[in-house]
Amino acid sequence: MSAAVLPTSSGGGRELSNPPSDGISNLRFSNHSDHLLVSSWDKTVRLYDASANVLKGEFMHGGPVLDCCFHDDFSGFSASADNTVRRFVFGTGKEDILGRHEAPVRCVEYSYAAGQVITGSWDKTLKCWDPRGASGPDRTLVGTYPQPERVYSLSLVGHRLVVATAGRHVNVYDLRNMSQPEQRRESSLKYQTRCVRCYPNGTGFALSSVEGRVAMEFFDLSEAGQSKKYAFKCHRKSEAGKDTVYPVNAIAFHPIYGTFATGGCDGYVNVWDGNNKKRLYQYSKYPTSIAALSFSRDGRLLAVASSYTFEEGDTPHEPDAIFVRNVNEVEVKPKPKALPAPPP
Amino acid sequence: MAKLPSQQSLQMESTHGSLLHELKIIWDEVGESEAERNKMLLELEQECLELYRRKVDQANRSKAQLRQAIADAEAEIAAICSAMGEPPVHVWQWNQNAGSLKEELKAIIPHLEEMKKRKNDRKNQILEVVEQIREILIEIRPTGYDLSTVAADESALSVRRVEELRGQLQLLQEEKADRLRKVMDHLHTLNSLCLVLGKDFKQMVSEVDPNLNETGGCKNTSDDTIERLTSAIQRLRDIKRQRMEKLQDLASTMLELWNLMDTPTEEQLNFQNVTCNIAASEHEITEPDALSVDFIKHVEAEVLRLEELKNSKMKELVLRKKSELEEIRRRAHLVAEGDTETEFAYEAVETGDADPSLILGQIEFQVSAAKEEAFSRKDMLERVEKWLAACEEESWLEEYNRDESRYSAGRGTHLALKRAEKARTLVSKIPAMVEALSVKTTAWEKERGNEFIYDGVRLLSMLEDYTTMRQEKEQERKRHRDQRRLQGQLIAAQEALFGSKPSPLKNMKKVTRTFSSGPSRRPSTPGATSQSDMPQSAKSSHAHRKSDDGSGLSAVRRDLDATTMPRKPFSPVVSDSNMPSTPTKRNSDNAEEEIGTRKSCMKIEANAPVSVICQAEVIDMPKDMEYSFEERRAGFVIKSSS
Repeated sequence: MSAAVLPTSSGGGRELSNPPSDGISNLRFSNHSDHLLVSSWDKTVRLYDASANVLKGEFMHGGPVLDCCFHDDFSGFSASADNTVRRFVFGTGKEDILGRHEAPVRCVEYSYAAGQVITGSWDKTLKCWDPRGASGPDRTLVGTYPQPERVYSLSLVGHRLVVATAGRHVNVYDLRNMSQPEQRRESSLKYQTRCVRCYPNGTGFALSSVEGRVAMEFFDLSEAGQSKKYAFKCHRKSEAGKDTVYPVNAIAFHPIYGTFATGGCDGYVNVWDGNNKKRLYQYSKYPTSIAALSFSRDGRLLAVASSYTFEEGDTPHEPDAIFVRNVNEVEVKPKPKALPAPPP
Repeated sequence: MAKLPSQQSLQMESTHGSLLHELKIIWDEVGESEAERNKMLLELEQECLELYRRKVDQANRSKAQLRQAIADAEAEIAAICSAMGEPPVHVWQWNQNAGSLKEELKAIIPHLEEMKKRKNDRKNQILEVVEQIREILIEIRPTGYDLSTVAADESALSVRRVEELRGQLQLLQEEKADRLRKVMDHLHTLNSLCLVLGKDFKQMVSEVDPNLNETGGCKNTSDDTIERLTSAIQRLRDIKRQRMEKLQDLASTMLELWNLMDTPTEEQLNFQNVTCNIAASEHEITEPDALSVDFIKHVEAEVLRLEELKNSKMKELVLRKKSELEEIRRRAHLVAEGDTETEFAYEAVETGDADPSLILGQIEFQVSAAKEEAFSRKDMLERVEKWLAACEEESWLEEYNRDESRYSAGRGTHLALKRAEKARTLVSKIPAMVEALSVKTTAWEKERGNEFIYDGVRLLSMLEDYTTMRQEKEQERKRHRDQRRLQGQLIAAQEALFGSKPSPLKNMKKVTRTFSSGPSRRPSTPGATSQSDMPQSAKSSHAHRKSDDGSGLSAVRRDLDATTMPRKPFSPVVSDSNMPSTPTKRNSDNAEEEIGTRKSCMKIEANAPVSVICQAEVIDMPKDMEYSFEERRAGFVIKSSS
């Protein structure tokens, strides 16, 4: 295995130059390279080469961009607060509107399995779009699926789609049959859902709330399957007998090890081993709340969006920054309980 | 037949004769027959006749031509005369004077020429006038005025026509002058309006018509221009009226506010120019920029400033009243716990959401209610004060009694002695006081139908507690006395056995425990003077326990100690941070923990029962509606309640 190409980074990692000028809503590594797609409240979607620390492209939108995702290494999709779902091509700089919702679009995902773009919006619907067709919302919309409440987070794995909404509803869909949710669930956490992410092995999903807690859930509804589920507290601060509890904004799974990182409003990123129920590592504190996390395709880089998420309303805050850090094996490798130390 | 000149005719005769003779000779020679000769002679004659006839015709014809020419000339002259509107006098004149036709013609031609010339002159005249008319018309009515009617008509060249046209021209010139005057007037009005309103005159004019701005030169006086000028003037008049009204409104508001807040005159003078116009009519306001946008904004800002001043004064007033209310309540020991409603009201006033005058009214009402309440409690409160003072003395006395050095000669010893004496008598009176107070309180409560609350606690319960405490103390003391007796016996017995007597005083000191002196108040209020909270007493007795060196009385002591801690059941025990805890048990009050199995959760941090959610105050937004941070940041609000 070759050593990491990046120079040793200090503290929280290397800070990307030309970050967005307002809050960062999400960031994602590409599945094909070290390109990083960043969506921001400054109405732009930016494409960076994270290794080279170069801004490669920028797309302006009509309103704050709340989510973004890659299509392939050359194009991507975005969800904006101006109710549009857009598609853009990096090389040519072209962009067009794939479709619209009735209210700001909060989440966007691209399913390679189904070849469709899936968006969730505060208009309480989920929409599927086919980007291969001609342009225009009437041509590209595949279906609209009503949700019990405003959509807050989405995650895909294989053919499964998990939708988390306000009111702590969780719907699980099979992309091959979207007419009905496969499962209608309620979040096992008692507080508002912040983020949901499916396990890379497709057996379940992790759900985080505003109350410094993460729940580990499983799709298998049998007794055996449900016996594995649990929840744990995290991103809390204990002072003089009182706990201060922070929302957990982001969850990202390591593509290889299956361990995951969480980021909270306390500015910390923790890495957990879900199977062994252990915390593996805590990175040093970032300047402000963690808004988003993403591992690169080979798991060697972790992109951290240190960007105030307005949990306390409109107050002065640290500037928004993106840090890209090298990931050491010791930080992310699972630690099974009673095994001897692995060979160096 | 005209007579040829005789010489010529003679010549001709001879020629004619000789020719004939010659002919005759020829014929003789030839031998023409007589008939032939006659025929030829006849032919000759005929031919000659023919020639003569032709010449005569020619002459006739030229005569006719002449006549025709004359007639033409006459006709033309007549035509010209008629065109020019003059009587055809001259025609007859020549007819009589002239002799031959040629003479006539010769005479008439010059006249014709003259007439032609005159006609031309006249025509030119008319053309000139017509041209001028056209010019003016173009100026005045440039848009498609039918100019064809002004063409010079060949058939109308009379003097009258000239006069007509001249008259027309003059009218038009007058009209032009009129229009010009009008335009100038309008421009003048426009100028004065622009001045008052603080608008750019030149710009306004160029909006109407760019040409008008050029100084000198021809001004466009078309209907269109005039119309546009009038409408521009109208518009500006409207604006002026609007602004004037607005300014007058502002001025009257300003006067009201000045009145309300007794603004000093110097300040008022600054806006003299505004208030003096408060009742002016439209045409009376003429100073430059009197109604300009900037000026109005300036006045608006001043009004705003005054209103804010008024608001802040109101706020001050509200705060003052509030503190007054609090003072009254405090003095009457009416402190209400968590009066959230009024707190919100105060906050609303602070932020400016609520109308201070409304809140003021409410506070006034509350103040008077509080005053009344305080008055009704006066009597009771006096008694309570007395009682509390007595209790204080009681506790002081207890303290004093415990003080070993109280009899030693010192500075305040004699004073202390005196005080102790007084305290003792006072203490003896306490039960009676309490009894009386209880009776009075019950009566008061019955009358008012309300509990008598003292600093948030029901007085009767305070009294009860005190009585209970007292009883307990009494029991303690009794037990203590019995104890000592027993002790004494024991010691005597011991002494009998071992021959020494340990000092009774030493043990006694150790055994005395701190009573929580004074009445206990059920919800323990902070800042109580002679109070020691339950947990504290637990702590102190804890300390006592620790300092206790085990003597043979430890068993008894432990017994005592056990009873001194009447810890209220289920009251919280303040956990020290070093308390080990199993996560599961601890969090029984923290709703959900692990779902499904009770497996131990991640050992992450030390747990404590109280958790505070960091700023996730979801109650901020419209009630009953949960919003995410992103929704709040984007200003997204659900219109209908879900």
